[in-house]
Amino acid sequence: MKCDEVGEMLPDLAAGLAKPSDAMKEHLQACAPCAARLQQFRQTMALMDEWEAPELSPYFDTRLQARLREEKVAEASRGRGWFAWLPRPAIAMAAALVLAIGVGIWVYSTHGSGTGNMVAIAPPPVQPNASAERGTAVSDLQTLDSDNDLYADFDVLDDIDSQQNAQPTTN
Amino acid sequence: MTRDKSTIRAVEDNASVDSQARRAPSSSGDAQLSSSNGVDTGVSSIALNASFGGGLDAPRPTLSLGVLGTDSDVEVMLRVKAGDEDAFGFLVQKYRRAMVHFMFRTTRTQAAAEDLAQEVFLRVYRSRQSYEASAKFTTWLYRIATNLAINHARDTKNERPENTVSVDAKNEETGQSFDVPDGSLTAEQNLVRRERLMAIRAKVLALPDKQRIAVLMHKYQGLDYKQIAEVLKLSESATKSLLFRAYETLREQLKEFV
Repeated sequence: MKCDEVGEMLPDLAAGLAKPSDAMKEHLQACAPCAARLQQFRQTMALMDEWEAPELSPYFDTRLQARLREEKVAEASRGRGWFAWLPRPAIAMAAALVLAIGVGIWVYSTHGSGTGNMVAIAPPPVQPNASAERGTAVSDLQTLDSDNDLYADFDVLDDIDSQQNAQPTTN
Repeated sequence: MTRDKSTIRAVEDNASVDSQARRAPSSSGDAQLSSSNGVDTGVSSIALNASFGGGLDAPRPTLSLGVLGTDSDVEVMLRVKAGDEDAFGFLVQKYRRAMVHFMFRTTRTQAAAEDLAQEVFLRVYRSRQSYEASAKFTTWLYRIATNLAINHARDTKNERPENTVSVDAKNEETGQSFDVPDGSLTAEQNLVRRERLMAIRAKVLALPDKQRIAVLMHKYQGLDYKQIAEVLKLSESATKSLLFRAYETLREQLKEFV
């Protein structure tokens, strides 16, 4: 046997995976470098045995079960296809009912109960000089305008006062 | 779910277990392949438990021999495909330790290893409908695990400088350390031992992807050349050559520690 032929078998021999044939034994007895390499492989294998893996954590199964449950839910969602976005039908029905009741209440409170007929009411046309409803942005702007006028009046009064004070007394 | 006893037949062996059994006994003093490949072999004697949970100390879910006869993993997987949740629990129980150990040696932490091992089983579950009994179950399982391990290694390449791996790092949940100090050794001896462990880990992790995976499967998971070749989609001779190169590298690089 040649060294190359024996060489490839050395890891298996060192690991105890194979038994040397008679020819191999003869070669190993006669070839010191191959025998030395076999010994080194044995030592390397023994060294690698020191690298042990730890035991599983106690939560391994619990976590896997949780992930599996999520997987099943995801699978079920994928299975619904078009309606995958919908939650469970009962919840969807309840949500639709609540929405319908809400819309009904809003319509009833907005248009009153005495009208009888559901007639679309157009908003009244806005008059340019009409005073806007209080609390709206238009009303606030109108207030600011009137305040400006008021401040202007105060300025005029201040000017008159100062002119009167500036005139000398003739007595 | 009902089980049809008459249709059950053995189509696959438990590869990892058999590969261990095939091993020739080594002479005294020889290095051994890992004595435990992580596969729970004692899972074919009691009845199947519907839930694979229940804690690690809970009775192992197993398939009854009386029901399955010479059951096989392929057969069990076909049951999973048919919707048998218990069968899936059986496979999880049987291979969870092996998967965690395999992943542990490709990642930095036990938490990451368990996360990846869980992902392996989730992918098995997801793929159950498309499962074909054309290959051994373990080949399929390790192929999934290998893809995940290699992708994870690439994703975290910058986060795993081999030289900074700490063997003292404790698991947040178990409080276990990667390297439990040996009480029979002095502090100095423990330090040397730690350095040795770090070196082994670093050198194995530094191997090219295929070499690393091949070594892990061969040395620690107990897979034979044929199985490794199937997982890596190589010929047996190429696998043998790959492993030889990997062991040669490790022999050279770990020389100072032996």
